[in-house]
Amino acid sequence: MKTQSKLYGYITISAILLVIIAVWSLNTGVYDFGGKSAFDVLGKVIQGDKGLSLSDKYVVWDVRAARIIMAILIGSMLAVSGTGLQGLFKNPLATGDLIGLTSGATLLAAIAIVLGGHFKQYLPEAVQFSLVGISAFIGSLLSMMLVYRISTSGGKTNVVMMLLSGVAITAIGFSITGFLIYISKDDQLRDLTFWNLGSLAAATWTKNIILAIVLIISYFILLPKGKALNAMMLGEKDAQHLGINVERLKKQIIIITALMVGSCVAFSGTIGFVGLIVPYILRFLFKSNYVFILPLSAVFGSILLLLADTFSRSIVEPSELPIGILTALMGGPIFIAILVKFKKSLS
Amino acid sequence: MKKFILAASVLVAVYSCKKETGTKQGNAAETTSETPKSTHKIVTLNGGITEIVAALGHEKEIVGTDVTSTYPESLKATAKDLGHMRSMTIEPIMAVKPSLILASDKDINPELMGKIKSSGIQAEVFRQEFTVDGTKKLIADVAKAIGSADYQKLNDKIDADLKQVQPIAKKPKVLFIYARGNMLMVSGKNTPMDALIGLAGGQNAVVDFEDFKPLTPEAVVKANPDVLFFFSSGLEGAGGNEGALKMPGVAQTNAGKNKKIIAMDGGLVSSFGPRLGEAAVGLNKLLIENTK
Repeated sequence: MKTQSKLYGYITISAILLVIIAVWSLNTGVYDFGGKSAFDVLGKVIQGDKGLSLSDKYVVWDVRAARIIMAILIGSMLAVSGTGLQGLFKNPLATGDLIGLTSGATLLAAIAIVLGGHFKQYLPEAVQFSLVGISAFIGSLLSMMLVYRISTSGGKTNVVMMLLSGVAITAIGFSITGFLIYISKDDQLRDLTFWNLGSLAAATWTKNIILAIVLIISYFILLPKGKALNAMMLGEKDAQHLGINVERLKKQIIIITALMVGSCVAFSGTIGFVGLIVPYILRFLFKSNYVFILPLSAVFGSILLLLADTFSRSIVEPSELPIGILTALMGGPIFIAILVKFKKSLS
Repeated sequence: MKKFILAASVLVAVYSCKKETGTKQGNAAETTSETPKSTHKIVTLNGGITEIVAALGHEKEIVGTDVTSTYPESLKATAKDLGHMRSMTIEPIMAVKPSLILASDKDINPELMGKIKSSGIQAEVFRQEFTVDGTKKLIADVAKAIGSADYQKLNDKIDADLKQVQPIAKKPKVLFIYARGNMLMVSGKNTPMDALIGLAGGQNAVVDFEDFKPLTPEAVVKANPDVLFFFSSGLEGAGGNEGALKMPGVAQTNAGKNKKIIAMDGGLVSSFGPRLGEAAVGLNKLLIENTK
């Protein structure tokens, strides 16, 4: 019970921190509300104030607020998918982007955009998005199954095999996506920068609703699995003895991480390393106790991505830095740190 | 737990300070961005359209432009540069508080267009064709959008300028090379350069593809141009005439052997606006000089 209350305490504190960052982010940007703070304007939007100028309302609600919510949703899902995968593979290097899930998702999303471009205009917006989203999910699911098949035998994951199959899938995905962009005259297919470094600039409320639905379903199943993942650390046989249905747990993690990564990629391209950075920081505080790091990575992922996105759109005003540059800057050194730490066990 | 609370409260303090300075800066910016009273506040997102609006006498109303809008130069001081169409986002556009946004269908990205549409700001996306008639139609369309009836003189000037183009007996084959850093692209059919070369009495050395494609040595040798054509800035970046002659495949072509390299201002060549006639005459002169 004590653990529970401790956990809720941490979640509350980090959620407060997230809210503070969101307020700061809402007030950050080149648009000027004529002396009012963006926060006041948002208050007026929520109250349905008729005297508000359309432009003010649009910038606060459809540009900034939509983007902040998208950063919160995507950051959260990327971090949780990383934590979940690390539990499944029993290794801190397993994340969606390193083992090729994002590439698989990108590839099928790009194919759906190029082929779907022909009849896209006849579909309602939500269906268009879900077409790309579902393709991305299938792409990440296929990659996931492939990586798991190649690298895991008898419940033991060979880390080198896992990372190398990720490299292979990424290479294939990159080449085919590059080719699609080369032949596609269709402007629908966003450029390579989007697919490789990600962007939250195209955030809309429709996308946010879809992402929120994916998040709620995923967390409902995945977040209570902390204890089960802790048991998995002992080895699959021991976990079995403790009454955990290991096969079912693995299937759930595979499908749900693929679903989360796929939806994130479909809407924001490849934003790397979030699933590596967040659990890494949390492990410092809580070791590998998944009861803590699984739910907390949900909040800290949002914090990280919202910070990164706010910086990305305010450092080089009026244009913006691709957000993946910032996450990779943070993630690269951490990746190396993990490698150094596990040098012995990897060789 | 205590440490955690401490760290959180420090962060809270830091961000609240940051927030205050942010809003202060915002207020400071507000006092400086006073623009003169005018009928419109226009954002133009294409070099040609910017030129048309300015030539119609509405230059003062332009509050923001894209990176290709290099002419008239006086705009640099009065309009905000919103960067490149590819990486442009909606908020910087909204920040200059436009009442009208004008763009070309050739370079607008659909996501940004969607955002502009839902922003409620009046926006016009014009079809742009790289022909004389297409340019005249664009001038008429832009004039209508900004409420200017006086556009016929611009079209007359284009016609008058084009009359000065002298026919060249043996049409020189011209290869346009777009050089940016190490990226070398050549322009195929349906590009502004292709159209301008035709208007100026030359022929495009590239006939087997559309748009811009990366330059390959074999393709250059096969196309065998008589003249190499650059943007002034591109030629400079490529190391001037010396650099151009060292480009892969160039030495084997007529243009390389005879050192026939010409350059013109990028904005003049590619904008297809009111200066179309001037651009054609300028290129025509250069071609005549380099085919003697």
